[in-house]
Amino acid sequence: MTTATSLAPVAERLTRSVVQVLSGPGGGAGVAWAPGLVVTNAHVTRAKAAGIVGPDGAQVRGRVIAWDGRRDLALIRAPVELPCCGTGDPHLRPGELVFAVGHPLGVTQAVCAGVFQALGKLPAGLRLPRLDPRLDWIQADLRLAPGNSGGPIADALGRVIGISAMILGGLGLGVPSPEIEAFVKANR
Amino acid sequence: MSTLTAFSEQLANAVARASQATVSVHARPKLPSTGVHWKDGVVVTTEATVQRDNDITLTLPDGKRVPATLVGRDPGSDLAALRIDQGLLPVAERGDPAALRAGHLVLALARLGDGGPRAAFGAVSATGGRWRSWKGGELALRLQSDVRLYPGFGGGPLVDAEGLVLGINSGGLSGPLATTIPANTVDRILEQLLTRGSVARGWLGAAMQPVRGGVVLLSIEPEAPAALAGLLVGDVVIGIDGRAVDSLEPLLTFLAGDVAGKNVTLDLLRGGVRTKVDVLIGERPRRTR
Repeated sequence: MTTATSLAPVAERLTRSVVQVLSGPGGGAGVAWAPGLVVTNAHVTRAKAAGIVGPDGAQVRGRVIAWDGRRDLALIRAPVELPCCGTGDPHLRPGELVFAVGHPLGVTQAVCAGVFQALGKLPAGLRLPRLDPRLDWIQADLRLAPGNSGGPIADALGRVIGISAMILGGLGLGVPSPEIEAFVKANR
Repeated sequence: MSTLTAFSEQLANAVARASQATVSVHARPKLPSTGVHWKDGVVVTTEATVQRDNDITLTLPDGKRVPATLVGRDPGSDLAALRIDQGLLPVAERGDPAALRAGHLVLALARLGDGGPRAAFGAVSATGGRWRSWKGGELALRLQSDVRLYPGFGGGPLVDAEGLVLGINSGGLSGPLATTIPANTVDRILEQLLTRGSVARGWLGAAMQPVRGGVVLLSIEPEAPAALAGLLVGDVVIGIDGRAVDSLEPLLTFLAGDVAGKNVTLDLLRGGVRTKVDVLIGERPRRTR
């Protein structure tokens, strides 16, 4: 297999764990983290209930069981039978390949590829006043757009290192997987 | 290891290699910009990101913060040179920008303060010959890519897949595509900045406008080279040293080169009659900051 074609199978495998989260005027993406549990961003679903659309287009009703506005995470219980994503260590080297799956501007299950930049606090001068400066972020050269929120960011092997949460100065920001893992563990 | 992870490793290795000569430049409020240790004791960055002449510091790859002094700046090519102590870090390893073709994979690097290196990835979009930037500087070749220059990436290196430095990325010269000042142009400008602190550009001291077949002089500054040579308002320049001038472009390109202090012969139409006038090209007065 050539380098140019080898992302396709990895991405295809990951898209099977990615859902659409329908909630009021917003909505975004989500990822099947554990059996019956979908992780997304808190800003994607502000209501108690959300529609979950699987990769096959089938929609089920989900219930938000935990919500962390500061870390921008929400946990949804939904009767989805999807393969759960595998997780990976977000401590990549700058320049390593990463890719994201989401539904940017309504294009469903869209893949975008880029490279890892940093894991940690945002550099001074690139901070938003409403963001807690103590938060750690995956910072990646990924062209995210509204609709990517809540979708996975994965390494070259398809292991989920975090979920897309925000765009800042064009930079893709994600919540690191260990924090998601802890959030899911504490609330399941 | 899969092909993809091998490729991913190669990109990370390229970043690690080039990052050894990539520094953070603190010469503006808030977000720092990036610089490249171009030769021992000399760091190159973009002119527009050096917003003060004093109190400039650099963060080196090992996290150390060191003072730097401004050697000179050239707004035309958007380059500035800073001096630091010698032997503090490795000198950038150079690639060949002239060998690039559209489609070659490249990375842009940055260092924002005391964090690790940052990278953006993309492909060369277009290459071409000599051109003149909208700021007036002449660049040896056109090098544009689809890498995204994030905040703080200005002044950083564009590197190839091996991590060899191809040039300096300029936010100010970039449009929808990222523009890189090629390494050979950096060398040429740096030489002038190190010897005289600025880049001399040719100056006539006349306002001009293109007309059919040439360029007409609309006004002439007193004591300027055009005035000293006896040029008159209304003269139409149609050639320089035998080369045709049929629009502003050839004249501006000529003046952007290393021509200050040289004698040239202008071909003119004066009152409809062809004539020749010798002009001693002056040096464009430096813009005060």
